[in-house]
Amino acid sequence: MNNIFAVISITFKEGLRQRILYGVIISALFVMFFAVLFSGWFMRDISKIILDFCLSAVSVGGLLIPFFLAVNLLSKDIERKTIYAILAKPISRTQYILGKFGGLIALAAVVMSILSASSLVSVWIGKLLYGARFFTDFSLLAFTQAVLMSWLSVAVLIALVVVWCCVTTSAFLATLLTLFTYIIGQTIDDVVRFLSVDTVGVEISATVEKTVQVVKYIFPNLAVFDLKLQAAHNVILPFGEFTTIGMYGVCYCIVALSLAVLIFQKRDLA
Amino acid sequence: MYTNFMKETVITYDQVFKTYKADIRIKKKALTGLHFQVQKGEVFGVVGPNGAGKSTALKILMGFVRADKGNIDLNGQSPTNPASHKFVGFLPENPCLYEHLTIIDHLKFCARVNGYSSQESVQKIQNLIDLVDLSHSATIPIRRFSKGMTQRAALACALFHEPEILILDEPMSGLDPLGRQLVIEIIREYNKKGHTILFCSHILTDVERMCDRIGIMCNGKLASIIKPEELAQNVYSQTTNGEKKTPLESFFLKTVEEQSL
Repeated sequence: MNNIFAVISITFKEGLRQRILYGVIISALFVMFFAVLFSGWFMRDISKIILDFCLSAVSVGGLLIPFFLAVNLLSKDIERKTIYAILAKPISRTQYILGKFGGLIALAAVVMSILSASSLVSVWIGKLLYGARFFTDFSLLAFTQAVLMSWLSVAVLIALVVVWCCVTTSAFLATLLTLFTYIIGQTIDDVVRFLSVDTVGVEISATVEKTVQVVKYIFPNLAVFDLKLQAAHNVILPFGEFTTIGMYGVCYCIVALSLAVLIFQKRDLA
Repeated sequence: MYTNFMKETVITYDQVFKTYKADIRIKKKALTGLHFQVQKGEVFGVVGPNGAGKSTALKILMGFVRADKGNIDLNGQSPTNPASHKFVGFLPENPCLYEHLTIIDHLKFCARVNGYSSQESVQKIQNLIDLVDLSHSATIPIRRFSKGMTQRAALACALFHEPEILILDEPMSGLDPLGRQLVIEIIREYNKKGHTILFCSHILTDVERMCDRIGIMCNGKLASIIKPEELAQNVYSQTTNGEKKTPLESFFLKTVEEQSL
């Protein structure tokens, strides 16, 4: 465990020193300013607009980690042979993968926490400016649930970045594969729902249906982690449902990381 | 220094083969039956032309690359076992460290994975930074380092846990004469403590000065092993087109030519 924490620590430090926090803090200030400004244009729905805007910013902030930092930190590690500095020590490849994943989700947690805090400040400023009566629907629990699930979806995506970085040596290809995974993950739920509804005059071929079924089980359903709408409408997810979605995310990460470890064990780091 | 009495083998390559896929259709044979042993306490230098398989041999020894065939033994353990790295320090060719971190961050990482407490590591880190002459740059990120400084920082990381075996891939590349002299002195001092050193280099004069035995690699295998004193005894010195060559240079060229035939 000590070795995993050592890799987590060095990944986290390297990520932070890339000055991402400056970018995140500037973004947080923008979010606070624009959320308050824009929501004023939608009387009665001020709370919903602020929350929707801020939670979207939290998601986007989190997504920057798998798309830019994770590929950069992991793929370049292998490409530029920085990995030798780690694996020359008594650290196994499994510990390296788990450490990298841990460091990246910790970075995502910091980024999303800063943006979440700025979101709460926006809500507070909104209350002061527009009056507390527009914020009676606001629930901190629903907001927290939405942020936690958003972080979990980022963790799932980071686990998949780790898989793609183990499969390919190209950072560009890893980014592209992650993008495809994200698009499939966000849309697969809608596609399955569309196919399950019989539409007059529209015939779906059996091959398409089977392909969608296979894709559904291979790729993560990222849409289930999206609780922005619920938070904006003060809908608190029951504990059982929240735990089930959480377990789904955790299980998906475990499966993806196991696959990454299997691939990485056999890979030549020449 | 190495003597004939020291016969304990710490590194063994036993008929090791490795082929890389250079392309979908093209395969490149990197090692074609590499076979040699390194004894405890000796400095073994491997020289060879570009593409001879020197770096591949070291990467296999570190477990970064898997051999297709053959046995490799590193201090009685398989190189793929991370526990074997407890006794080994490795300096890769053109070392690449984490650009945004400092040498102190890297050495703290080494301390942590080698089980040193933070109190123990403070003095050790300072000593190592002084040893590689980087005390003036200890708080500067690695990205601001020159190639030679990065090389010395990586050497400090390799030496942190005082490994029994030091494996160096082109340790002198990118170093100015002062840097080269510093690294040579560090390696010599390290060897005096009884530690084993295996290294690859293109700089034949350094190899000749430092090694107890020199292996010449060609076409993926060791073509010849010679001791520096044997070089001195035999007249390998020759002059080509008026250019005088050192005994090792002459022996190296002769061996490579013979292998190419």
